[in-house]
Amino acid sequence: MLKRTLLGAIAVCTVAVPAIAQDAYVVGLTGALTGPPSSTYAPAVDALRIYIDRVNAGGGVNGKKIQLILEDDGAQPSKAAANTKKLITQDNAVLVINASLSSTYAPMIAETKAAGVPLLFASGVCPQSVYPPADPLQFCTTGYASHFDSQATLDFVKATAKGPVKIGFAAMAIPLSRGEMDYAQDLSKTMGMTPVDEQVIPPPTADYTPFATKLKDTGPNWVYSWAPWVTQVRTLEALRKLDWQDDYIAWGHLEAESELARLKDGKFFVVNANALFQEGLPIQKEIEDAAKKAGSKYPAQTMTEGWIGGMAIEAALKGAGWPADAAKVRAAMENLKIDTKGLRGGPIEWNKDNHFRTRLYYRVYKWDGGKIARVQDWKTYDVK
Amino acid sequence: MQLFVNIIVLASIYALIACGYVMIYRVSRVLNLAHGELMMLGAYLLLATASLFSGHAAMALGAAVALSLVVGLLVYVFLMRKMTGEMVLAAILTTVALGILIRGLVVLLWSAQQQYPAQALGVPNPSLVIGNARISLWSAVLVLTNAAVYGGLFVFLRFGRWGIRMRAAGQNPLLAAQRGIKLHSVYALAWSLSTLTGALAGILMALDSGLTTSLPVIGLKAFPAALVGGLDSLAGALVGALIVAAAEVLLIYYVDPLLSDVVPFLVLIAMLIVRPWGLFGTREELDRV
Repeated sequence: MLKRTLLGAIAVCTVAVPAIAQDAYVVGLTGALTGPPSSTYAPAVDALRIYIDRVNAGGGVNGKKIQLILEDDGAQPSKAAANTKKLITQDNAVLVINASLSSTYAPMIAETKAAGVPLLFASGVCPQSVYPPADPLQFCTTGYASHFDSQATLDFVKATAKGPVKIGFAAMAIPLSRGEMDYAQDLSKTMGMTPVDEQVIPPPTADYTPFATKLKDTGPNWVYSWAPWVTQVRTLEALRKLDWQDDYIAWGHLEAESELARLKDGKFFVVNANALFQEGLPIQKEIEDAAKKAGSKYPAQTMTEGWIGGMAIEAALKGAGWPADAAKVRAAMENLKIDTKGLRGGPIEWNKDNHFRTRLYYRVYKWDGGKIARVQDWKTYDVK
Repeated sequence: MQLFVNIIVLASIYALIACGYVMIYRVSRVLNLAHGELMMLGAYLLLATASLFSGHAAMALGAAVALSLVVGLLVYVFLMRKMTGEMVLAAILTTVALGILIRGLVVLLWSAQQQYPAQALGVPNPSLVIGNARISLWSAVLVLTNAAVYGGLFVFLRFGRWGIRMRAAGQNPLLAAQRGIKLHSVYALAWSLSTLTGALAGILMALDSGLTTSLPVIGLKAFPAALVGGLDSLAGALVGALIVAAAEVLLIYYVDPLLSDVVPFLVLIAMLIVRPWGLFGTREELDRV
């Protein structure tokens, strides 16, 4: 009797699961949930999951739930490709999300292109293919953007420096970071600065002091780093251990807010596309409450990128209507305006040619006398 | 002077890690490819004990070190003991699986975020001045710990009863067993000591510059130091670490920082061509590999 009941239950479940899946928007995500670079991606994925859960709890989108399928690629390109294929062919995802290292981009782009499914970059750096003229299938919500970030950073350095700028650069030995630091070096020359050295530091490194020693000995009065947080902050700390006391500026990753408070270094600046939680915005309070309620092991301060990614997914599915397929979602994403409610300096706007944003906003923060202080308010850059 | 200090610090890191590889290989001929993960686990255990003994840094450190010793023992008792008598390759593959398991567990238990045990313990890390060079407090402690570990192991292996048993088991396990040496006890001790030294390296690195889940990769970078010196020689591990660290630091400063990633392996290849059994290793050991 029990055996028969169990078999019956299994049979019902087998039929019911696809029915539920078909009655929901299926969104697939592959991300670096484990592995060395996961500290940058896992909090964003958790935030995105919490956001989607909240949307579902509130009735979903167009009266339908969002079924978010998470796959771990460990930042490995081959795994990311396999995950993408599975999400598209087995799970019938209408939208695929990347939350992983840039080395996973190419295989994911190939898989999504072959299937005609839109691909959203919601945690890693935005690839050039979302800039105008954008690839029809690729979109990006992430705050950081190569070239623009260095332009904003060096503009700040130039405006802040009191004398001639001798600037050093610290990159991680990955193509994106090295390329950006090479670009920044060239840019600094055109802005009247003197680039003195560029340290390209392998990930991971047992001791950053040998790199910092070389950097320090070239005599910079500013150092700029655009790399994963671990490289940025450990280079700074190694320089400070060597008694280098000049100005250091870096990209404000997810960890920036807690790290500024930990380091309490008045000459450490972070350039941010996202508002830090010390601003106390209502949306930030919402994120804090949601993270707490969901029991997330990541601090709310690290969740802005994932939250914005969730906002973009909700807006895209709303625009696609029901029933939705990949083509309808892509069409909706091509004409989208996402209100970030103050998390960014303005909305994210996508159109046919621009799947990045039409305008970028940057703030600069540092530790100042017992608290994090905003040292430059939103500065805008048009993306053409 | 700063370059000299940098070499000593990096060599100490590599030597402290390499010591664990050598201990296990020397005694049981098993290449422990989970050593980096066990090193990381030791550092994360400090994070756990730091919250457990909040405000008592010495107790937290002591507890983490003791737990590492126990972890090594448990790894042998519940996992590697089953591999005794099996092919060496099977044992090595078991350590690979163990490494994957530890990596997953660490992310599940402590998340993937960068952690700072020094902050959790409330201990500072000031920069100390030595002549015209500088060294952080925890780097200096690591250098001294490395010296103490190698000194202690030298005395233990040469004069200690269990040390002599370990050497005997490494040289000829069959004969050692026939002479009444309990091989399982010797192997368990080797795994415990190896995990302990690895954990010390992980703990001190984490206290100096923070802790991430990428620590096992540094464990692998120390592996060439053990091979260059000779996989069955502790003195070799020390010299190998010094050679690899000197090459790395000098090339970063005078040639190209990018070379630092490949230097350990370039030194290793050069050594394999010139003297495949390493500087202090024995030809017989290589044949067995």
